[in-house]
Amino acid sequence: MTTIDEQGTSLWQDAWIKLSKNYLALFGLAIIGLLCVVSLLTPWIAPYGYEQQNLLLGATSPSAEHWLGTDIFGRDMLTRIMYGGRVSLTVGFIATAVALIIGVLWGAVAGFVGGRIDAVMMRIVDIMYALPFMIFIVLLMVVFGRNILLLFLAIGAVEWLTMARIVRGQVMALRKQEFVEAAHSLGLSQWTIIRRHIIPNTLGPVIVYTTLTIPSVMLLEAFLSFLGLGIQPPQSSWGLLINYGVETMEEYPWLLIFPGVTLSLTLFALNFLGDGLRDALDPRTSKD
Amino acid sequence: MNNRARQHAILPLLLLISTLLLAACGSSESNVDQGNRSGTLHWGNGTEPQSLDPHIATGVPEHHIITALMEGLILKDSETLAPKPGVAESWTISADGRIYTFKLRENARWSNGDPHNAHDYVWSWWRALQPALGNLYAYMYFSIENAQEYYEGTVTDFDQVGVKALDDYRLQVTLSNPTPYFLQLLDHYSLYPVHRATVEKFGAADERGTRWTYEGNNVGNGAFQLLDWKINRRVTVQRNPYYWNTDSVRLNQIVFYPTENVVSEERMFRAGQLHRTSTIPADKIPVYLEAQDSSLHIAPYLGTYFYRINTRVPHLQDKQVRRALAMTIDRETISKSILKAGQIPAYAMTPPGTMGYYPESDLSFDPEAARQLLADAGYPNGEGFPATEILYNTSEGHRKIAVAIQQMWKKYLNIDIKLLNQEWKVYLDSESAGNYEISRAGWIGDYVDPNSFLDMFLCNGGNNRTGWCNAEYDRLIADVAPTVKTHAERLAVFGQAEKILMDELPVIPIYIYTSVNLVNNSVKNYADNILNQPSFTEMYLQAEPQQKRLTEDQH
Repeated sequence: MTTIDEQGTSLWQDAWIKLSKNYLALFGLAIIGLLCVVSLLTPWIAPYGYEQQNLLLGATSPSAEHWLGTDIFGRDMLTRIMYGGRVSLTVGFIATAVALIIGVLWGAVAGFVGGRIDAVMMRIVDIMYALPFMIFIVLLMVVFGRNILLLFLAIGAVEWLTMARIVRGQVMALRKQEFVEAAHSLGLSQWTIIRRHIIPNTLGPVIVYTTLTIPSVMLLEAFLSFLGLGIQPPQSSWGLLINYGVETMEEYPWLLIFPGVTLSLTLFALNFLGDGLRDALDPRTSKD
Repeated sequence: MNNRARQHAILPLLLLISTLLLAACGSSESNVDQGNRSGTLHWGNGTEPQSLDPHIATGVPEHHIITALMEGLILKDSETLAPKPGVAESWTISADGRIYTFKLRENARWSNGDPHNAHDYVWSWWRALQPALGNLYAYMYFSIENAQEYYEGTVTDFDQVGVKALDDYRLQVTLSNPTPYFLQLLDHYSLYPVHRATVEKFGAADERGTRWTYEGNNVGNGAFQLLDWKINRRVTVQRNPYYWNTDSVRLNQIVFYPTENVVSEERMFRAGQLHRTSTIPADKIPVYLEAQDSSLHIAPYLGTYFYRINTRVPHLQDKQVRRALAMTIDRETISKSILKAGQIPAYAMTPPGTMGYYPESDLSFDPEAARQLLADAGYPNGEGFPATEILYNTSEGHRKIAVAIQQMWKKYLNIDIKLLNQEWKVYLDSESAGNYEISRAGWIGDYVDPNSFLDMFLCNGGNNRTGWCNAEYDRLIADVAPTVKTHAERLAVFGQAEKILMDELPVIPIYIYTSVNLVNNSVKNYADNILNQPSFTEMYLQAEPQQKRLTEDQH
């Protein structure tokens, strides 16, 4: 038997077509891509060493040798921002990915299965919420030692709670809809329904929330590093550079402006991209 | 005493909020204006006090609050630091310089009105020498006859210790040796009396951390009494009507702010929230200097900034390693590029010129020789050198110095150093417990004498904390120095001892402090002495509205 149906497009192909028409989102994607590439290549392309000090030089404003100026130790700001990006982007993406995976799965299962399991799962979320998150992270750090990878995991392990709630709410609304009923009656397993039908339909809010999580995670990292729990000097991250920059913003404004602009640019790019992705991935919007 | 000092930083968020708040407060009356009217001094104290128990505290921030609440037998003149009568209205010293007899004021009272007499001192000093109390300053008593023996348990009868109440108002102290700085010791909080009934009401005499120092409970004998203590927000003291000299006290209240972030503190000062800051961000110093702002007070300060090395850590036991570390710190550059307030690079523990004492030291900045030493110690070119951590209390200034030194050791010795910061109280605990490798420290003279810098490194010194112990050093400081006849001989003995210390280097001196504070021009009688201890009983406030506006406009 042959079919002469129109060639079906998958959700992802569909999304890409829609995304490629959204120039703002493409711009965001390009910026993020550029930042990632620069970060990856930083050890080879950075103009100076990130810990290379020149105390006699001290803080200088942007010049031909130091395009973005130097900090109070005479370290090149461009280099510091490039290396900082490696930490910040890694923390941002890994921690958010951890939060995303745990949160979406947890929320989807709780919302879809419902009943007792839902109650138990959401009470666990409530308990985690009530747990002062600083204490939780400090405990993790004390038990496992100071390790950057652990920092990522710890932040991710804390950030998934809101995600789980959002997803659960969405799933609760979805599970009674006809297409889910239809999938049930076709005999699909629950897991397949969650994977094929429920999760793609929750993508909109999830993506929006993800783009909000990445920046908050980056700032959280700076906060933890400040308490001596995250990364330690001479390493740096955007959040930390901004923290230090704020202290001397009256004397050496460039120490705040450049990392600030970099972080803002990243956040803008992420938001544009997130916005575009939400529109592109929402299965409820009509094709074309 | 430990200097927490210098700078600290927190989150940009808090900064932002505080800036917004300050901006919002602009229209209403500032703390300073209001304080000038009501006689309330707003004092930036740098950090939350570890304790207000004079027999437990060890820091500078604690010092300021405790001296407001309590008073010793002797006070110091705030300009010359010469001893002057405190609770003791007069005293006599025996011809051999060993027996001091103090005549206490009969009108001195505790802040709850209880009579205050010589027995209070005997009991308090007994308490301070109880080993269970864990008084890190117990060695301040060791010039008193049998005090050390009692503390160490070789003498068990306190009656044999050289302190005796002859009657209610006469206290006799017998020293084991003539001690030229003994009167100065009496103005240090570790020798202050505590109110027996209050201490015993809240726990055993030698129990640490009882609630007797808290608001509502605290009883002192000083010019002020504790009004409230909001953890991490403020400590407020108000004039004590029972203080013997209360008529001459001109301040009604003092509010101590534990602002750890020096950047915020400086902004609070500019916004008129503080009369005085505990320090100032180094990067701001040139700005104030250029503006010739008279609120910037820079003065010599009898203190040394140094790194303790935990000599119990295997790879730091080798003195060649310690020497290599000490020789690769470029102190001149740190002083010029990071500190910026004319701090003197330190190559010995005691600040030069302390009572005419100038320590000799063959320590210098010499990376070549240092590399050789490290190689001799078994780490050629830094290879195989175990990961080592510098511990510092969370503060912007300490971080800067640690970052610079981290890089110097990397550059000259090729060794990797990690940095670890802890909050003040945690840091003090880690250090006392020997739970560190290298730790930042500052020591401010408790009295003007080289002994204050050297006797802390005795084997049993509570503030030694390095695990370093040298019999010859102990002999010189504890046995020889107190017994020599002339001042010159005494200094020579200190010189010998310091030479041992700087040869063994359980501590790496970095620089000699200068005190840097912002003080509002409305604060009068603020004396910049080398102990940075202006007297709260002398200070008073007088508004100078013009001056204040100038300060604000200049930034």
